[in-house]
Amino acid sequence: MPEDLNWAIGGEAGDGINSTGKIFAQALSRAGRHVFTSKDFASRIRGGYTAYKVRTAVDRVESVVDRLDVLIALTERTIDENMNELHEGSVIIYDGERTTMQNVEIPEEMIGLEVPLKRLAEEAGGAIMANVVALGAACEVTGFPIENLDESLEKRFGDKGEAIVENNKKAARAGQEFVQAEYDHDYGYSLETTDNDYVLLNGDEAIGMGAIAAGCRFYSGYPITPATDVMEYMTGRVDQFGGKVVQAEDELAAINMALGAARAGARAMTATSGPGIDLMTETFGLVATTETPLVICDVMRSGPSTGMPTKQEQGDLNMALYGGHGEIPRFVVTPTNISECFWKTVEAFNLAEKYQTPVFLVSDLALAVTEQTFAPETFDMDEVEIERGKVVDEDDIDSWQNEKEQFQPHFPAADGVSPRTFPGTSGGAHMTTGLEHDALGRRTEDTEVREDQVEKRERKVETAREREDWDYREFGDPDADTLVVSWGSNEGAMREGLEMLAEDGLDVRFISVPYIFPRPDLSEEIEAAEQTIVVECNATGQFADVIEHDVLERVDRVNKYDGVRFKADELAEEIKDAVAEETEVSA
Amino acid sequence: MSAFSAIGDEREVDRDEFTPGIEPQATWCPGCGDFGVLKALKQAMPEVGRNPDEVALFTGIGCSGKLNSYFNSYGFHTIHGRSLPVARAAKLANPDVEVIAAGGDGDGYGIGGNHFMHTARENHDMTYIVFNNEIFGLTKGQTSPTSPKGHKSKTQPSGSAKSPIRPLSLALTSGATYVARTAAVNPNQAKEIIAEAIEHDGFAHVDFLTQCPTWNKDAKHYVPYTDIQQSDDHDFDTSNREEAQQMMFETENKLYEGEVLTGRYYVDDESPSYQEEKQATGEMPEEPLAERYFDEDYEWERTADSLLEHHK
Repeated sequence: MPEDLNWAIGGEAGDGINSTGKIFAQALSRAGRHVFTSKDFASRIRGGYTAYKVRTAVDRVESVVDRLDVLIALTERTIDENMNELHEGSVIIYDGERTTMQNVEIPEEMIGLEVPLKRLAEEAGGAIMANVVALGAACEVTGFPIENLDESLEKRFGDKGEAIVENNKKAARAGQEFVQAEYDHDYGYSLETTDNDYVLLNGDEAIGMGAIAAGCRFYSGYPITPATDVMEYMTGRVDQFGGKVVQAEDELAAINMALGAARAGARAMTATSGPGIDLMTETFGLVATTETPLVICDVMRSGPSTGMPTKQEQGDLNMALYGGHGEIPRFVVTPTNISECFWKTVEAFNLAEKYQTPVFLVSDLALAVTEQTFAPETFDMDEVEIERGKVVDEDDIDSWQNEKEQFQPHFPAADGVSPRTFPGTSGGAHMTTGLEHDALGRRTEDTEVREDQVEKRERKVETAREREDWDYREFGDPDADTLVVSWGSNEGAMREGLEMLAEDGLDVRFISVPYIFPRPDLSEEIEAAEQTIVVECNATGQFADVIEHDVLERVDRVNKYDGVRFKADELAEEIKDAVAEETEVSA
Repeated sequence: MSAFSAIGDEREVDRDEFTPGIEPQATWCPGCGDFGVLKALKQAMPEVGRNPDEVALFTGIGCSGKLNSYFNSYGFHTIHGRSLPVARAAKLANPDVEVIAAGGDGDGYGIGGNHFMHTARENHDMTYIVFNNEIFGLTKGQTSPTSPKGHKSKTQPSGSAKSPIRPLSLALTSGATYVARTAAVNPNQAKEIIAEAIEHDGFAHVDFLTQCPTWNKDAKHYVPYTDIQQSDDHDFDTSNREEAQQMMFETENKLYEGEVLTGRYYVDDESPSYQEEKQATGEMPEEPLAERYFDEDYEWERTADSLLEHHK
């Protein structure tokens, strides 16, 4: 386990929690430390509790843990909400002068630091900087050189003028000096800095960046938590490269607009979450049967219905695999961490265009709201390849015309992939339709043509199955008796859980699956293991069902559906329990 | 050279080019008004100087959706109610393409009503032709959004309690910048209006009365009709929003009283289209974005390089 520090700031929504947390995370990242952030949103008690949590270490951190070392509490409730994560020696920074904080009682085994955040901020130039005073105090507690904060403050407040930046630096130092002068604890932290250069980004941003790198130049969407960041990220960025982002009137329009742009020749995408996917489902079949490349991104949140919009769940897998009436050829790609959000997006565009199908890029809230540090080389743009597949321009259009010089958009080629051309291309005029059609795109109910077209669409999937790599990512002990399989964002918690389990003498082989359809064949791996445990954030085990169907064998399931992602230590315990249960049964 | 060489081709265009090589047996009923739309559209194309390879026609579901089968162009027969979002995004991806959407009154004013409102509001430079026959034809005669109040059908045996949609008023209120009504029985006016609509720089809405002799015998083929521009009884200024509004209101009422008024109702040449607005703010490229993909010197993958800086 890495030498980590778990830090948080919490308060009411509207207290600037997010931006303050981000300043700290950025300062750590710029100081060459790895960072993994998470967010708490209101749910258990009324009111607007929110928190921004940062886990930091010199080594990479891949998940959150159930432990909080330093907490800036702007409300009393923040302390209550985090009581189960606070421990002996945890430091709680709060403003005891605030009327609402008068009755705060810090448990004896913890260290309470009363810092007059508001008063010190006022002295530095304005009460609005109270959170920055708290950051200064946190620097003192954690032994993090305060100079590192300065650049983040410049980045955050630079456009507001030099004076504001200077005041903020002053405010931070006031917090630091107050703690120095008033308290004499040995907190035991000394946050080391390194010369490493990192970038800090969340999963939605990685998807947006991946889309731009992949040549996506048209995005249409409708705001929805937690997918909005993809849209906001692309807005103002993709236009710099000749692209366009549009906000549609609803998700029906969003997906149909993306489809229209794709027909006209753009690489196009839409992103949404569960309720939006429900609406978009109508168009899945149209995309598939007209053989239009489209990337449809679902950043999952808790369902059903409106569910818990700011909470984690991996409940849309069946929707991605089976959504829509009739039989719809498609691919389902599921990034397992934030850097993979970038790479799988790039891949999704290539798959979509090479095979002219809808590609579901299924991410989740845990990936979307987490900011993580990476070496910039992780996103080496030279590794990005754009493959547009069988796009035909006027020079080679002849070879795809029939004897009457008509272009054949649904020509049943041996590999199932037809030619594609865009409006404006001479000699390419053709129609297509959501009705069953012939090679020319004309509606038909002829039984033979119907069979031909169904088979050619399925053949594309078979071609892709053969031509592409549908690999999994593997961690832990390849010879272990216990095999854990998961998909999506659980990878980080499980990777760290592996180390905890190994320390406890339990060796585990861990397979993290980024492709759900087509997917890697796990029969041999499951055969080789004594026990297979499928981990996912849903109640029914949607991926476990799929695996069982593949291997015709029962697997064990670890499910979580309380709306919170797996934490490394928690997941390790769950795996231990599942193994113990199996051992009991066998005995 | 442009990858889209069909665009801007100055050659003479013949209306027969829009007849597909293998014309399928037309499956519209004898006497159907839909033939009138097809004919008017084919006649309008040489007038506006567009050839089949530079026209994209998007249709919805219903009898009107068969238009693609009889009109040679880049045709996309979409799903019920969704032709407008598909069409307007194609226009955004390649503004040089002539984009036309078409569908019935159920498709455009019912299931796709929200898209109608919003596409008009955004004022995309495109044409939307609604085949209005006041009935669901393809599903055999159910009450539609433009069926008159009291309309009896298998789904409304005691008569519809709903006031019909006012298509012209709705278009105007929503933001359309060209609003006209024509009828299949008036082919010359229909051709002229469609040509004008195509040439209009903004969202042009044509409510096209297409009689349904099979399922809507009450509509009496929309004869006799009056062309409001030709009639001395109707003097108003098509660039005046209030006067247009009044004329539309009257026209929509009269239709159900048996008087068929047609013509141009509102023409706003001043308001910028969505594309013009977005190009002015730098949010939309001058060069069609679909074109960019054929630029061999363009380094796609490098575009995200600069983005990384932001994350440091």
